[in-house]
Amino acid sequence: MAVLTGVLARGRTSGSGRGPGHGLPVTPWLFLIVPLGLLVLFTYVPVANMVWYGFTSWDGLDPVKEPVGLDNYVRIFTDPQMFEVFFVSLYYLAGAAVQLVLALYFATVLSFDTRFRNFFKGVLFFPYLINGVAIGLVFLFLLRPGGTLDATLALVGVSEPPQWLGDPSLVNVSLAATSVWRYLGLNFVLFLGAIQSIPGELYEAADLDGATSWQKFRYIIAPAIRPIIGLTTILAISGSLSVFEIPWIMTGGANGSTTFVIQTVQQAFQFNKFGLASAMAVVLLLIVLLVTWIQRRLFPDERVDLT
Amino acid sequence: MRLRNHLRGGAVVAAVALTVSACSAQAGGGDTSGEGEVAGEITVITQRTDIVDTVFQEYKAEFEAEYPDVTVNFEAITDYEGEIAVRMNTDDYGDVLLIPNSVQPDQFATFFEPLGSVEEMGQEYRLVEEKAYDGQVYGLSITVNTQGLVYNKKVWEEAGITDLPATPDEFLDDLRAISQNTDAVPYYTNYADGWPLSQWDGNRGAMGDPAYQNTHVAHSDTPWAEDEWHGISDGLLYDVVAEGLSEEDPTTTNWEESKTLLGTGQVATMLLGSWAITQMRQAAEDAGGSAEDIGYMPFPYQVDGTFHAQVAGDYKNAINVNSEHKAAARAWIDWFAKESGYAHDEGGISPLLDGPMPETLGDFEAAGVEYVELEPAPQGKESYEADVVAAAEIDLYGNIYRQQLVDVARGAGGGDKESFFADLNQRWADARASVGE
Amino acid sequence: MTDHTTIGLPRPPARPPARPAARPDLARHRLARGWRALSPLTTPLGITVKYTSLLIAVACALIPLITVFMAAFKTREEFATSDPLAPPGDWFNLENFVVAFTRGGMLQGFLNTTIILAVSLVGTILIGTMTAYAVDRFDFRGRRLVMGAFLLATLVPAVTTQVATFQVVNGLGLFNTRWAAIVLFMGTDIVSIYIFLQFMRSIPRSLDEAAMLDGAGRLTIYARIIFPLLRPAIATVVIIKGIAIYNEYYIPFLYMPSRDLGVVSTSLFRFMGPFGAQWEIISAGAVLVIIPTLIAFLLLQRQIYSGLTSGATK
Repeated sequence: MAVLTGVLARGRTSGSGRGPGHGLPVTPWLFLIVPLGLLVLFTYVPVANMVWYGFTSWDGLDPVKEPVGLDNYVRIFTDPQMFEVFFVSLYYLAGAAVQLVLALYFATVLSFDTRFRNFFKGVLFFPYLINGVAIGLVFLFLLRPGGTLDATLALVGVSEPPQWLGDPSLVNVSLAATSVWRYLGLNFVLFLGAIQSIPGELYEAADLDGATSWQKFRYIIAPAIRPIIGLTTILAISGSLSVFEIPWIMTGGANGSTTFVIQTVQQAFQFNKFGLASAMAVVLLLIVLLVTWIQRRLFPDERVDLT
Repeated sequence: MRLRNHLRGGAVVAAVALTVSACSAQAGGGDTSGEGEVAGEITVITQRTDIVDTVFQEYKAEFEAEYPDVTVNFEAITDYEGEIAVRMNTDDYGDVLLIPNSVQPDQFATFFEPLGSVEEMGQEYRLVEEKAYDGQVYGLSITVNTQGLVYNKKVWEEAGITDLPATPDEFLDDLRAISQNTDAVPYYTNYADGWPLSQWDGNRGAMGDPAYQNTHVAHSDTPWAEDEWHGISDGLLYDVVAEGLSEEDPTTTNWEESKTLLGTGQVATMLLGSWAITQMRQAAEDAGGSAEDIGYMPFPYQVDGTFHAQVAGDYKNAINVNSEHKAAARAWIDWFAKESGYAHDEGGISPLLDGPMPETLGDFEAAGVEYVELEPAPQGKESYEADVVAAAEIDLYGNIYRQQLVDVARGAGGGDKESFFADLNQRWADARASVGE
Repeated sequence: MTDHTTIGLPRPPARPPARPAARPDLARHRLARGWRALSPLTTPLGITVKYTSLLIAVACALIPLITVFMAAFKTREEFATSDPLAPPGDWFNLENFVVAFTRGGMLQGFLNTTIILAVSLVGTILIGTMTAYAVDRFDFRGRRLVMGAFLLATLVPAVTTQVATFQVVNGLGLFNTRWAAIVLFMGTDIVSIYIFLQFMRSIPRSLDEAAMLDGAGRLTIYARIIFPLLRPAIATVVIIKGIAIYNEYYIPFLYMPSRDLGVVSTSLFRFMGPFGAQWEIISAGAVLVIIPTLIAFLLLQRQIYSGLTSGATK
C-alpha cells in the first residue's frame, strides 16, 4: 500500500497495478464523465468545427461550406499584412516586461516590514478584479483630450499634452499601459507568494555566514521565484500574441492598434470570410501551443502553475 | 464587442440595391407568409437599443390592442451585424428581424420568408427590390432615408456663408471660412464610433445617374479616380481632414456627444443620412438651442446645375423562415410600415409609396434637390459588388479603410492622398480580376 | 498582459509533501525577521525611495478610479465645466446612480447575476473536485491526456469559436436561457481544477487508505472525506471564479439577448447608447458595477491572495 503510494507519488503510470479492493479500473472515468462531457461539448466540438471551417471558404452564414484545401493557410503565410499586426504585440510584450520588473520590485519591497502593507498590497492588486468594460470606460475617461491624465499633467506644468490615443506613435503605448495597469496586480501577488514561501531559517543561516543583501537576493530569493518568472514570461508572450479585449473596447483596432485577434474578428464579420478567420485562429492557437511547448522544455521540472 | 453605440436612426444600408429586374414571370406569386391565424407570441429583434424600452413599448401596446391574440417581445442588440450573424447559424433568430447587410441575395430564401412578388408589393411600398431575389420580396424598409450633410445654420451664417456649396472645393472654402471666422470645429468625423464614416458610401445617387453602380463602382477598375463617386466623396473627406478642418483627436470622438456639439454650434457640419436630422434637432433643443438651427444640405456636387440625393431604404423588417407564428409576424411588419409612424417619427421618408415627404427635408425642397433611386443590379449580378468587396478586403460599406484614410490624411499613417487612392484602386482592380466580370 | 491561464501540466510531487504549505502569514513573520538584516533597504535613503515608489504606484492605481468615482456625483452642468480632478460640489448627489440603476436594468441584472453565479459555482465546484479527485487519486492510462485536454482548452481564443459554440448551445435548446451562461461557465475550467489538485495533494493518502480498509468505495471517500477537507480550496475557487463570472459580458450578451435576462456586466451597455455623451451617468454605472467587486475583495482579501499563490508556491 505504502509502496503503491510511493509509486503514485512518483507519477509512474504503473498500468493497472491495482490489488483487489480498489474498485474497478473504470472508476476514474465515472468521476470524469461529466467534466469531460462538458469539455468536449463546449470546447472540442467548436474547435473541431473551427479547424474544419479553416479548410473552407465559408462566409459564416451559408448552409454550404465549399472546401478550398489549404488556400486559407497559403494566404496567411504568404500575405505579409497578416503577420504585420504581430508588431503591435511587441508593445504589449514590452509592457509585460515592465510589468514583470515592477511586480518583482513591489513584491520584494512589500515582503518585509512596511507600514500599511496590506493597504498597498490591496491597492496594487485590486485593478485585476475589475470588469473589463468598466476598465475600458475608466481609461477612455483618463486618456481623452482634457481628461484625467491631461488634467494631472497640467498640475505639474505640462500644458500641451499629446493625444494619447490619437497619436499613432502613442496609441499602442497607451493601450499597453492600460494592460499593465490591469494585470500588474496578479503578477505582484504571485511573486509575493513565492517570496513569502521561503523559509526564514534560510536567511538566518545566511546572516550567520555574513552574506550581503545582494547575495541574499541572488542566492535565496532569485531561485525561489525563478519558476514563477519563467512561467510569467511565457504567459506574457502568449498573452501578447492574443491581445484582444482592451484595444477592441477602446479603439476598435483603429489608428494602427489592430492586433491579430482583432484582425481575425474583422475578417469574419466585416468581410464574411469565416473560413479564413478560422484558419487564422488555428494558426494563433498553434503559435500559442508552440510557446507553451518551449516553456515546458525550458522549465522541465516546474510544478508551478498559475491560477 | 466594442463600446459602440449602434444607435442611429438607421444603419447604412449597403447602397447596392440587390434585386432582380422585375421581368421574371410571376411564379404564382401570392402571399405565402400571411397564412394561418394572427396569433401567438412573437419576438421582434431590433437595433434600436435606445428606444426599445420606450417608443417600442408604445408600439407593442397599440399593436396588441389591434391584435389581441398576439404577444410581442423585443430583443435589442447592441452589435447588430456581429451578433445576428452568429445567431443565424441556428433557427433561433426571432420571428421578425432586420435583414443583416452580410446576407447575400441568393441566401434570402434560406433565412427569410418571402413577402410577395416585387410587382405586387411594389404597388404599395417603396424600394421593395432592394432586398428581393428572383422576383420575391424578402424585406420591408423600416424607414427610407436620403443622404446629405447635417449642419448648424447659425454657425454657417456667422461665417458669412450665404449659398450652398455646389462643388467639393466650394465646400472646403466654406469650412475654411468657418474655421477662420467662428470658434466652431468645421467638420466632425465621428471616427471613433466607426459607423458614421460608412455614411460616405451611401450617396452614389449624387452622381445623378440611377444606373451608376451598374456601370461604375464594382464595374470600374478605378473607383477612387477623381471623377468617380468614391474618389469624389472619400477625396473630400481626405481633404477636410488633411487641412485640419476636422476635430483635433478623431480617436476619442463620441457619437452621442457629437449631437450635442452640433446642436450647440461647437461643431458646424457632419455628413449623415437624413435620419439624423430629427436626432440633431432634439439634441439642439436639449442643449438649450433651437431645432431651427439645424439644417440639411445636399452633398456638394451638382450635375447640370442640379443637386441629386440618393433615396434608399434603411434596414428591412423580415420574417424568420423558421418562425412558428408567421401570420403574426407578417401582421407586425405590415403594421410597422403602415401604422406605427416609425418613419415619420424618425424624420424619414415613408416606406409607403403614397406616404408624405417628411418636413425634415424642407431644406432639400428649397434647394431643388432631385431624388435618385438606384436601379437594382441585373439578374445574376446581385452579389457581384459584395464579392469584389470581400476579395479586395476594402470594406466599402464599413469604416476600416476610411479610418485608415483619416489617419493618412492627418499625418498619422504613411503615404498621401495619391498613394492611398492608388493602392485602393490597385487592390480593387486585382479583386475584380480575381472575381471575374 | 497575461490572462489567468495555467501553463505546465501538474505533476505529482517528486516526494510526498513533507509538510503542508507554510501559511503565508507565518512565513511572512519569519521572513520579516530575516529581512531586517537586509541593510540597504533600511537606510533612510532606502526608506524614502521605497515609500515614494509605493505612493506613486498607489496614485497610478487609484487616480483613474477616483476621478470616475467623483464624476459619478457631478451634475451634468458641473461635469461639463469642472476639472476631472476636482471633487464634486455635492457628495450626496445620487441622481446619476439612480438613472444608471434604473435605465441599466441593474436590479434585474443583479438578480440574474446572482442566480447564474450560484448555479455555475456549485457546478464548477462539483466538476472541479471530481476531476481533481480522479486525476490525483487514481492511476490510469490517459491521466495526462485528460489534464492536457483541460489545459489545451484554456489556450483556445474563445472569440474565434463563437459560431460553433453557439450552434452547440442552441442545439441543446439553451439559447436565451440562464442555462446557456451557466453551462459555458462550468464547461472548461482548468483554473479551479488546478487549485483543487494542489490542495488535494496535501491531503494525506493514508486517509483514503484507511477508509478503503474499512470497506468504503471510491465515491464514499470522495464525498465523505476528500470533499469536506477541500473546504479552503472551495472557498478560493468560489471567489476567483465568482469574480470572473461576474465580469464576463460577452457570453451573456450573445446567449441571453432577451430583455429580462440582462446581467450586471451587460447593464453598462444598456445605457451606453442613450447616455453615450453623459460621462457622469456612465461613470455612475461603472462605479455601480465595480462596487460589489470591491466589497467582495475587501471581505475576502486573504482568501484571494492565498488562493492565488497556493498553487504557485510549494
